[in-house]
Amino acid sequence: MFFHNFKYTFKILFKNKSLIFWTFAFPIILGTLFYFAFSDIEKKEQFDRIQIAIIENELPNEIWNQALKELSEEGENQILQLQYTNIEQANKLLEEEKISGILILDSEQKLIVKKNGINETILKFAIEEIKQTETMLKNIIHSITYESQIQDTKNSINMTIQKILQMKTESMNNIKDVSVNNMSYTMIEYYTLIAMTCLYGGLLSMIAIQKNLANMGSVGKRSATSPTTKKTMILSSLLSSYLIQLIGIILLFLYTIFVLNVDYGNHFSFVVLLTLVGCFAGLSLGIFLASTLKSSENSKTGILLAITMFGCFLSGMMGITMKYVVDKNIPFINRINPANLITDGFYALYYYDTQTRFYHNVIGLLLISCFLIFISILFLRRQTYDNL
Amino acid sequence: MNKVIEVEHLTKEYKKQKAVNNLSFTVQEGEILGLLGPNGSGKSTTINCILSLLKFQKGKIKIFGKEMTPSAYDIKKDIGVVFQEVAVFEELTVYENIDYFCGLYIKDRKKREQFILEAIDLVGLEHYQKFYPKQLSGGLLRRLNIACGIAHKPKLIFFDEPTVAVDPQSRNNILSGIETLRKNGATIIYTTHYMEEVEILCDRVMILDKGEMIASGTIAELKKLTNIEEKVTVEIANLKEKEQKKLKEFPNVMDVTYQNGLLIISYKKGQNNLLTLMDYLKENQINYQKIYSERPTLNDVFLELTGKELRD
Repeated sequence: MFFHNFKYTFKILFKNKSLIFWTFAFPIILGTLFYFAFSDIEKKEQFDRIQIAIIENELPNEIWNQALKELSEEGENQILQLQYTNIEQANKLLEEEKISGILILDSEQKLIVKKNGINETILKFAIEEIKQTETMLKNIIHSITYESQIQDTKNSINMTIQKILQMKTESMNNIKDVSVNNMSYTMIEYYTLIAMTCLYGGLLSMIAIQKNLANMGSVGKRSATSPTTKKTMILSSLLSSYLIQLIGIILLFLYTIFVLNVDYGNHFSFVVLLTLVGCFAGLSLGIFLASTLKSSENSKTGILLAITMFGCFLSGMMGITMKYVVDKNIPFINRINPANLITDGFYALYYYDTQTRFYHNVIGLLLISCFLIFISILFLRRQTYDNL
Repeated sequence: MNKVIEVEHLTKEYKKQKAVNNLSFTVQEGEILGLLGPNGSGKSTTINCILSLLKFQKGKIKIFGKEMTPSAYDIKKDIGVVFQEVAVFEELTVYENIDYFCGLYIKDRKKREQFILEAIDLVGLEHYQKFYPKQLSGGLLRRLNIACGIAHKPKLIFFDEPTVAVDPQSRNNILSGIETLRKNGATIIYTTHYMEEVEILCDRVMILDKGEMIASGTIAELKKLTNIEEKVTVEIANLKEKEQKKLKEFPNVMDVTYQNGLLIISYKKGQNNLLTLMDYLKENQINYQKIYSERPTLNDVFLELTGKELRD
């Protein structure tokens, strides 16, 4: 009976066009919209190399030479794009905002900027750091006698470069409001999308369970008079809903990875684990609402969608600030909010070095799911109705 | 004969209004019991209580000698139900629908296949096995609904108004299918408000009104409950008031009605009533198109007992 109901529930759900839209197509459509809406913003927010004009009125000293060379060397750490030119040309470029500043290498190095932006701040910081290092090195350069002291001088220049690079990273963080790789604003949206898709699975289990409920229509009445136990019906329906949900999630992952080029980073296996548990939580929520609410199918569907969307809202789908506000003021809500447990699990993967918080979220989801299923079975067992 | 169903003092209330009031009856093995009554008389409620789908306030229900409860799975495996509303999945074909519901009772696949084909044959859906419900007409859908309820060969079958809104061909098919089921030994509870069906199918009839049993017995026994022995109907274009009064004074006449060009006279006793009436009409030069006489029907019994038509 278990496999029989499993097989047919799968068939029935899979042929339900509206369900397939919400489970398969809607997340993909939403993902595509995110891609077009946010990828542009991210591109604009990407750190451009700071264009700077260099005017050499005096022969440059070795310290400045080396520092500028390091900062403008092509690669991941390149900050500056140097243009060696004359003052007239440089002024013209600055006026046209094609460069962020002019560095005049004279007896006293002078930086000219037009406005106060992030690029200008980084430039000022970089030039100041080089100046300080130069002064420090000039003071000690006369007393260099040993090879090791020459090495110390090189190390000092390297440290200066590292400081400037750190300044660049911090500035970038301020722009993006995130601290580490694979956790851009778009990624947060994709993770919330996965959470939402997991919870939308509730629609599948809700429809699957309702076909066994006598108060939900004639098919339910017929199933309720059959000798197959409620437990068998619920668990087999749950399993087939889960399978369809997984197909939907796999499609979403394939689409986001291969079509939208989303990079889930080094924690993909954890992302998958959390998604599997999240799907289970979504299905449990659907079963719970289907079993406990005494209202029409449309009302139940509406309630499930409302709960899912509200849960996603509290977990930061429409703005990450909401998640922090709820976490700070009413943390209990987010501890029982499946959408938050899923998104928080994703954040935990990227914010923390250990997986403790991630596993807390996974366990939390499992506990909530088991609780919801247990209550559902209790409700449905030996159920009779006041009216049909 | 064994008692298949025993209902004792069943009372079901909806917000203090009694839908079924102190109902007691038994159904013997192999018989077809007709539950007759107008809409809202408590027929479906009674069936839902027997099937343990509805809670009830008082009473005891036994099926196959055991108490019926929601978890009485050993009883449920021998029950088939054909509900008033079509209970099939739009996403499954005719064959798959029957297979799904049959599979909730019969585990063995080969046995099930044979049962399904027999059910399809019984309701005459041989040519529609791969059709989806939305491709079927109302009558064919009803037949599918029946096949889904009886494919597992239950010993006890509930038919809740299975012929509502079906074409005559499908109705005949359904009725002959039910006859076959009876011949195969099934016990059947058949609810309807079509008295013709009851007269064709049922061994015994229980008439319900406002949740109460107002009469029960074989069709012949029920017909004895009425004082009418003969009913004569005449199609007359125009009949004057004074003529109607005169007709009421005729011997054995119980009642005279004249509505929409139809004169109906009910007689207590049935000897030469038709001839006397025809003579009277001829003498008084009253023209008529048709005249016919009939024995009292269950509808007359119901009308006399409750003052209402069955299809009210």
